[in-house]
Formats: sequence, structure tokens, C-alpha cells
Amino acid sequence: MNSPVFAGEGDVTVHMMRRSILALMGFLLVLSFPLLRAAEPLTVYTVNYPLQYFTQRIAGDHARVVFPAPADVDPAFWMPDQKTIGDYQRADLVILNGADYAGWVSKVSLPRLRLVDTSKAFKDGLVTVEGTVTHSHGPVGEHSHTGTAFTIWLDFYQAVQQAEAIAEALSRKQPEHKADFEQNLAALRKDLMGLDLEIQQTVAKKPRQLLFASHPIYHYLARRYELHIEDMVWEPEDMPNEQQWQLLRLAQERFPADWMLWEKQPLPKIVQQLDSMGIGIAVLDPCANRPASGDFLSVMRNNIANLKQVFAD
Amino acid sequence: MIDSFYIAWKYLLFGKARSATLVACITLIAVLPLALEIILDESEHQLVERAEHTPLLVGAKGSALDLVMNSLYFADEVPQPVTLASAEEIAATDLAFAIPLYVRFQARGFPIVGTTLDYFDFRQLRLAAGTPFGLLGECVIGAAVARQIGLKPGDSLLSSPETVFDLAGVYPLKMRVAGVLAPSHSADDLAVLVDVKTAWVIEGLVHGHEDVARSRDSSVIIERSESNVTANAKLMQYTEITEANIEAFHLHGDPAGYPLTAVIALPHDDKAAAILRGRYQDTETPYQIVPPADVIDTLITNIFRIRNVLDAVILFVGLATLMALVLVFGLSLRLRQREIDTIFKLGCSRLTIAQLLGAEIVIIAALSAVLCLLILSVVAHYDQQLVRALFI
Repeated sequence: MNSPVFAGEGDVTVHMMRRSILALMGFLLVLSFPLLRAAEPLTVYTVNYPLQYFTQRIAGDHARVVFPAPADVDPAFWMPDQKTIGDYQRADLVILNGADYAGWVSKVSLPRLRLVDTSKAFKDGLVTVEGTVTHSHGPVGEHSHTGTAFTIWLDFYQAVQQAEAIAEALSRKQPEHKADFEQNLAALRKDLMGLDLEIQQTVAKKPRQLLFASHPIYHYLARRYELHIEDMVWEPEDMPNEQQWQLLRLAQERFPADWMLWEKQPLPKIVQQLDSMGIGIAVLDPCANRPASGDFLSVMRNNIANLKQVFAD
Repeated sequence: MIDSFYIAWKYLLFGKARSATLVACITLIAVLPLALEIILDESEHQLVERAEHTPLLVGAKGSALDLVMNSLYFADEVPQPVTLASAEEIAATDLAFAIPLYVRFQARGFPIVGTTLDYFDFRQLRLAAGTPFGLLGECVIGAAVARQIGLKPGDSLLSSPETVFDLAGVYPLKMRVAGVLAPSHSADDLAVLVDVKTAWVIEGLVHGHEDVARSRDSSVIIERSESNVTANAKLMQYTEITEANIEAFHLHGDPAGYPLTAVIALPHDDKAAAILRGRYQDTETPYQIVPPADVIDTLITNIFRIRNVLDAVILFVGLATLMALVLVFGLSLRLRQREIDTIFKLGCSRLTIAQLLGAEIVIIAALSAVLCLLILSVVAHYDQQLVRALFI
């Protein structure tokens, strides 16, 4: 005998079932919260564009990589504002260039345990820039403010070591993605070592080529690829004064270079005057800040294309 | 029965001074050991808890107790310095994280603790207001510091000179208060936390001044050559770090040689801790590595020895007081003999008289118990502050 069915009883049953399913889903959501948290991408801050590029290539979707400096500043001499310092302090990792790069790092408080010094592995091989004025006062005695050359990524072998330090730090932070990081690192290493080989082959065509550098930023490039460079301290957007031109003429007498490397395209009148002295210009952009177009690799490929003109037979 | 209590109460009110003395005696006998127990328990809790949450401390060889008390409770006794290189050595082992500590200077009587932002995570310190220290020269003050000297984020705090006779020493640093910690009921409440680099600014190892290479003030420059400028002590150093002059601040020499009082080592696991401890067993090493819990355990053992002596003293004093109380009651019964006879002649039974005297004792005991509970609850409420004021 069937039990009597009251009007609306089916609706009540369906309603209760819905509530039970919703409660179960809510419960499962709560249970899965730690897993969802674990899957959250890391927030990584860097102190220049090359490091942002390397980190993003290695981390892929597992990290949000931020380089917060405005596009028109040199990150080496930039000073972040209070809010940006706070952002750096809260980051899961802060990727540093080392070699005293970004002087602001020594003047702010960052969480030491979350800092990654990417040049630590070759710290002993860093180049010291000599020739700055020393001074002394008080009981501390004489001291100098000479610095360390910091454009270390222009030696692509060093750039690979920086990338390895980044991969290691990411793997420590998210060991579950270590395989991804290593795979991405391998691809980046291949690209960087490809650039390294290409420069070596380019330079090998004219190993005695002498070069002027408009700015003292090519120490590691010169060391790695055995370039013969004499540094000036010129800015691409400022016309050098007569004294600077005179110094160049004197330098050219003992160091007959016929090319000058520039970090950016210099003013046309600079190019013209250099041309009149028999000196061509080649742009070799260190790409410390994000480029207007392209990425780190494309900028470096342009640099190599420019170098090929210099070292052409 | 109620009548007996009423008459006893009236009698006690009649002899207020005598009753108050009896209540005070009984209260003191009960309060002293119990309050001491609460304070010792709390001091043990505070000492042990902080020590147990600090796995290992690395410092210069010398008194382990000074090292632990300075590093954990910011005590005045400053241990021999180690260098930043020692912290880097620990980090380089990949066995432990290293948090540097430089606890040497003071600001208005509160210890300045030079460390890194990692210390906040390590001690699970929360900010009640403001932000962590960001720029060089900023500080975060403990809850008690903020309360006692009435500071809030945005205010300034001046570091104190180490000695008043250090006329040629470094200038005090005017620090900007960036944040105030929420109460943590630990030594951090009474601390002024700064970045370790700020502590070095206070020491004069990091400083800022006008560019001597460009200075035209001949009274400041002693000698100028192609490669060197020598200035005299007249060269004014900045005593406050602002966004305008922060660029002028610079380190002298290699930071690896800069001083620390200790390094907190946080081993990745027990095995790493054991290996790390093994590396500092060498007699040639200038460092010592200590588990603070062991040092505090020894200290607690000594405190307990003193506690046993105190307990014995209190026991004897208590016994003597009790005997005195019995004597007072006995004598008072004798003094009240005529009074008791009168009550008896009025028709009260011996049992009623006993009830009256018993009610007096119960009321005195009850009043003492209430007073005792009140005092103990006050002690229990302020036990953390009392312990910090008395011991730490």
C-alpha cells in the first residue's frame, strides 16, 4: 500500500536536497582552501628589468613578477617611494642584482630572509671601479666611495648564473613547481648561452678592435668577450663640452679606437662630430629598464647586430 | 545561628583595630606564598617561552647568560660583539636562517634593537598602528614604549648618547616613529626596533654629511688633493635621515665587518641544528652557539633554589604568626572571661558562647580570604608587568 503523498512534500524534499548539496559544496570549499592558497602565485619584486625578465621566464604562471620603477629612470640610481618600499617589503621574494646595484637597497629595510642576491655565486669576481675621489674626516679615517661595476648581466655566462640563483630561490619557495622552474631555466639558459656564443663569434672576427665606451658600464662585457675598451663619461642626450672632446682627442692619440659604444642613440650632432673624428657609433643597450618595444632577448639581439657592424671584416 | 554571626560582627566592629590586625595577619600569611608562586610561575613562563621559541643564538665567546639575556630580554649587559660576517656564515651553511641582532643603544631608557624585518615574522609581532620601518632612520616602538612616552607614528624619538662624557662621540639620531607594535606581553613591548643599519648610523659607522669633494668651506677642509679630501671634525653630520638627505648616507668599509651583539639562528630541522652546533664546538672559533632554553633552564634551576629558601622562610614566619594568632585568641578569651561569664549569667548556654566565638573566627577568616583573593587577582592581572619590572 502506497503511503499518501501530501501536496508540496516533493518540493520540500528537493529543497532539502539542494541545501544539503550546497552545504556539502561549502564544506568541500573550506577543505580545499589550503590547497587553493598553495596554488596562489608568488609575488616577486626585482630591482631591474633583466631580473624581471629572467624571473618571469623561469617562474611562468607560478609568480607575478613586478619591477615597479618608472620606464624613464635608470634603476641603478632610482629611489622608490614609501608605498613602493612597502610593496617590496611584502613580496614573497625580492630579487637583487648584487654588486651594490640599486643603492636604495642599502638605505631601506627589506626582509633579509626573502632577499635573493643573484650575483652571490660570483661575488669574488666582481669588478671594482677605481678612480673616484676619496675623503676622510673624524675618527674613522680615510675612506673611498669607489663602487663595484654592476652591469653584470652583459656577461651572459654571469646572466645564466643569476638565472640559476633565481630558479633555486623559486624552487625553495614552491618546491612543488621545481620541475617547471628547471625546465624554464633550461630554455632561458639556452637563449642566453646562444647570445654568448654569438658575441664570441662576432668578436673573434676582429680581436684587436679598439673601442671607446661613452659610459663605464661595459666592464663585464669587456672581460668576458675580451674587448679593448676605454671609458668616457658622456651622456647620449648631452653634447660633451670642449674639454671632453679634447680629452677624447688625446685618448685617441694613444688608443686609436674608431668606434664608440653607446647605451642609447646619441644626439645627431654628437654622431656628426664623432664621425668627423673617424669614430663610428654603435648602440649597445644594457636594457636595465624595460624597453619601449620587444624584450630583453630582442634588445640583446639588436646589440649583437650593432656589434657585428663594428667587428665586420 | 544568624544571631551569633550578627553579635560576632558587632563585636568585631567594636574592636576595629584588633579585628583589622587579625585580618591583616591572616591575609599576609596566605598572600605572600601564593603571590610569590604566581610571580615565579609567570617569570618562569616568560623566560622559558621566549627561550624555547628561539632555537639557537650565536655570539662572541663569553657569558652565555649575558648573551641570552641581552638578545632575548634586551638586558643592559652588552656581550662582546660579533660581525655581520658571522650572520652571513650561518646563512651560507644552508642549515639555518640568520637574523642579526644589535642591542647596544638606548632611546629615553628603552633598548634600541637593531635587527631586520624578519624579526617581526619570527616573533609574530603585529603592528597596532603605522608601518614597519622602511627608510634608514625609522623605528617601530613597542606598545609599552608608546604608552609610557606617548608616541605615535610620525613622531620622533632621539637616541641617547652612550655616556654623557662622550663629547666627541657620534651625534644622537632623531628617529622617525614608523609604527607601534600591538602588545605582545614580552620584552618587545619595551623595545625600540630599528633596522640594523640604523643602529650602525647611531654608532656612526653609517653616516651622512655634505659632499666634501664639493665643499667650499675652507674651515672644514684640512687638505685637498687629486684623489683625496681630508675634512676635520667641524664637518657637520646629519642627525636626522630624511628623503632629502638619505642619498648622502653611506657605509664606511666592508659591512661584513660591522658589529652585532648576536645572531638568531633558525635551523631548518633538528638535524641541521645538530650539525650547526657541531660546527661551533671548535675551541679555536671566536663564537659560541647556545640553545637559549638550556641557559634559561639553568637560570630557572637557580631561581628554584632561591624559591625553596623563600618558601621555607615563609613557612616558618607563617607558623610563628599562626602561633601568635592562637596566643592572641587565647589571651583575648582570658581578657573576655568576665564578658563570657556575663553572657552565661544572662542565660546563654556554653554551646551558644562557643558559637559566638566560632562566628568571630569565621568572619575574620572570611574577610582575610576575600582580601587575599582581591590581592591575588591584582597580582595575577599585573603579573607580566610585575615580572618585567622585577626580573627582566
